[in-house]
Amino acid sequence: MNAMKRISAILTSSWTIVVLAGVLMIASNYCETGTVQMWSFVIINILLAQSINLLTGVTGQISLGHAGFFAIGAYVSATFIMSLGLPFPFAVACGTGISAVVGWLLAIPSGRVREFYLAMMSLAFGLIIYELAREWRSVTGGVMGMRGIPSSTLGSLRIADLAIGTVAYFQILLLVLLATLYMLRNFVKSHFGRAFYAVHVNEIAAGTLGISQEKTKRFSYATSAGLAGLAGGFYAHLVGYLTPESFTLMRSVEILVMSIVGGLGSLTGQVLGATLFTYLPQKLQAFADYQFMVYGLVLTFSFILLPKGLAGLLRLHTRYSKLDLLPNSTVSADAALTGHSNTSLSSPPERLSIPLLQIQNVVMEFAGLRALNGVSLNLYPGKITALVGPNGSGKSTLVNVISGIYRPTTGSIQFNGIDIAGWSSHHIATLGVVRTFQDPRNVPSFTVRENILMGAHRLYHHGALAAALNTPRARAEEALFLSRVAALMQEAGLTIHADTLISELPYGIQRLAEVARALASDPELLMLDEPAAGLSEAESTVLTRLIRLARDHGVTVMLIEHHMDFLTDLVDEAVVFDAGEEIYRGSMTGMRTNPAVMEAYLGIGENQHA
Amino acid sequence: MEFFAQMVTSGLSVGAVYALIGLGLNLTFWTTRVLNFGQGSVLMAGAMITATMVAHGQNVYASMFASMTITGVILLLTERVGVKPLIKASGSMGWVVSTLGIGVFLQGFASIAFGTQAIAFPDVLFSSGDTVELLGAYISKQYIAVFAISTVTVCLMELFLRKSTWGYAVRAVAHDSTLAALMGIPVRNVIIFSYLASGVLAGAAGILIAQIAGTVDPGFGLHLLVLAFVGAVVGGMGSAFGSLLGGLSLGLLEKLVGGYVSPAWAEASAFILLVAVLAVRPQGLFGKREVVKV
Repeated sequence: MNAMKRISAILTSSWTIVVLAGVLMIASNYCETGTVQMWSFVIINILLAQSINLLTGVTGQISLGHAGFFAIGAYVSATFIMSLGLPFPFAVACGTGISAVVGWLLAIPSGRVREFYLAMMSLAFGLIIYELAREWRSVTGGVMGMRGIPSSTLGSLRIADLAIGTVAYFQILLLVLLATLYMLRNFVKSHFGRAFYAVHVNEIAAGTLGISQEKTKRFSYATSAGLAGLAGGFYAHLVGYLTPESFTLMRSVEILVMSIVGGLGSLTGQVLGATLFTYLPQKLQAFADYQFMVYGLVLTFSFILLPKGLAGLLRLHTRYSKLDLLPNSTVSADAALTGHSNTSLSSPPERLSIPLLQIQNVVMEFAGLRALNGVSLNLYPGKITALVGPNGSGKSTLVNVISGIYRPTTGSIQFNGIDIAGWSSHHIATLGVVRTFQDPRNVPSFTVRENILMGAHRLYHHGALAAALNTPRARAEEALFLSRVAALMQEAGLTIHADTLISELPYGIQRLAEVARALASDPELLMLDEPAAGLSEAESTVLTRLIRLARDHGVTVMLIEHHMDFLTDLVDEAVVFDAGEEIYRGSMTGMRTNPAVMEAYLGIGENQHA
Repeated sequence: MEFFAQMVTSGLSVGAVYALIGLGLNLTFWTTRVLNFGQGSVLMAGAMITATMVAHGQNVYASMFASMTITGVILLLTERVGVKPLIKASGSMGWVVSTLGIGVFLQGFASIAFGTQAIAFPDVLFSSGDTVELLGAYISKQYIAVFAISTVTVCLMELFLRKSTWGYAVRAVAHDSTLAALMGIPVRNVIIFSYLASGVLAGAAGILIAQIAGTVDPGFGLHLLVLAFVGAVVGGMGSAFGSLLGGLSLGLLEKLVGGYVSPAWAEASAFILLVAVLAVRPQGLFGKREVVKV
């Protein structure tokens, strides 16, 4: 076990990679051309496997047509160099770019349909590109193929006036690979990586944190397609000859096999998988003969027998935060809730008397069932409002309507004077309307820290490129949120669990982590759906502390709860619902003696009739 | 005009087979929310086995019966190996990859067993030269027969699903399998039945389409799978009636574009249609609600 850990630590260390690359860089000068050529093929396959991994391993979208993007990169780059006379690096860049654009276009329906529709679409896409390569003879040369592409093998490739031979080409590829791996690693560990992952594991929760499902999936498709296009461009100028037969479904299957066997989600795993499946057909004739049957069997059984691939065997884990950036100095939890200095308790009273959220006559119908029957409600800054009522009275529905999970049938919801009724949930979340769920919705394979960090998603400003390059700004931002999250974990008593996978922790801890996640988003309006359910006495105390912390920083809190003792000392106002309508509004003490409330809860009226 | 009539008949004919394939896809989709990504190879297997058996002197009907039995068994195995162990896991990635894997395996196996070249498909329904004159155009009898058989099969299947006890069971499982199980419906058997039926339908569809195409090769089913899927999505996934209309319209589109523009554009237009439908109206043209009323 310990040896295993050491092996995986060595495998994933940046030093190992740099040393290995250095050795290969020097060795390539002394090895046979055939060997170096083979290494170049390995690198191209690693790029392809990384491309699938980003899309499938991280974002959970399966592509069965990646050979199509590979083909686009190859043909575009070859054509641009031959017909337009573009220099080699620009031609490859164009191939990458066009492939990325096609990937983005292909993913347009991604926000609306389930994954397997996209999978089938990608299958169709691969077929179409293959057909196009066969039929568009004037450009691709049809089935006869495209010959005479400047290539390192033929010695016809030049950058400026420098001829690029096999060795130099390999060295360029190696540098490109290193740069790609570096950027991918940073990217996956950034808020983009977390969003990519969260959007398929926990689509609804991701939406309520301000992560757009549609945009994220499209972005992932585009990046992945671009990466495959990059591999295609380098492939074209490696072999110097393109034929449609290099871009069949079987090529897509091969890429998928490399990635799955290597281990979906693991960058190192992809390197292993691609290397293995580049050499196997070369070294083992029997394998080459039965290649597709073997691929078929691998795909059929891999998810049952070896779900995490080689990376799983070696216990390589991908982590989704740049934890090394966590500053040593600690901050207080107050730092996490900063966005409300204008509405905090010290603000002038008139600010506090303007409702943050105004709900007017909201009706929510589900195929004739009226879950909310004209609800009106105002929520004020820095106030805690409890929604109380029997099961099925519409409390959770109201939270779902406000957070944009349901679109109300009629009525208006004004947040800070903007009507948000009918907005998508990620759009609403970006305004600072954040919620938790009745059943905690975290990303099970994230640690507690990563889950809470995901809450801060809406607050990040740096872009994808900055994240990938790990620019000082990106580092500073990640460090800032890491320290805020550390402070929140301290406040929530989660510090000892910080780097444990959340799925391995007890229910109460998962709930508290979800509340901490909501706080990490620095909300304006915090909605908690039965946060105390299933919590121990001690955990309830922590929860109360967290809610008060939010309130003291001017956050408007709305909570649904059945646990009256928990509410009594906490809330400013209670609103009681029954059958989709408000039946009481006022103090907690008044609620306990209100006849309508008692009837709804205890059924006194019915008893009298009986 | 004659050309147009021929394009329309061939379009309706292949379109009806797409509907048949689409119905097979829908059957497993109803009961398990699984779409068999290896169905293309099942189509191929149906046609390939029939062609090989007939070439070895077997009776045509016995060959077809044997092929459809084998394709039925293939789907049963698919369910057992590729679907049942993976369906509990969240998300669709597991079964998409495993069913595709079974398809790839079958295709690889067929390449080794039968060679990668296309082999001639025997005349099981009329001969390719038989025509009838219809509105002044000579229409192949094979097209008419394929159209008639496919359409009648889809309609019978629809009738069966609507009127028989098994049909009710399938629809109950489609609606809510947990609830169906609580009501005493043998959910497991219904699932097995749906896979068996899907396999038999795929075998029949493979034979029918190979009859029109004249040849069959190991990679033959893939395009059909994709086109049938497009038809099913256009018509509205989950609806048999929709898949019939979707399949027919797609067949027409394919043949008309293929005949008047170019064959390469035929598939491209189907693909563009798929992307457009998914982007604009993912529930299909004949959305679920309307189909229920029909």
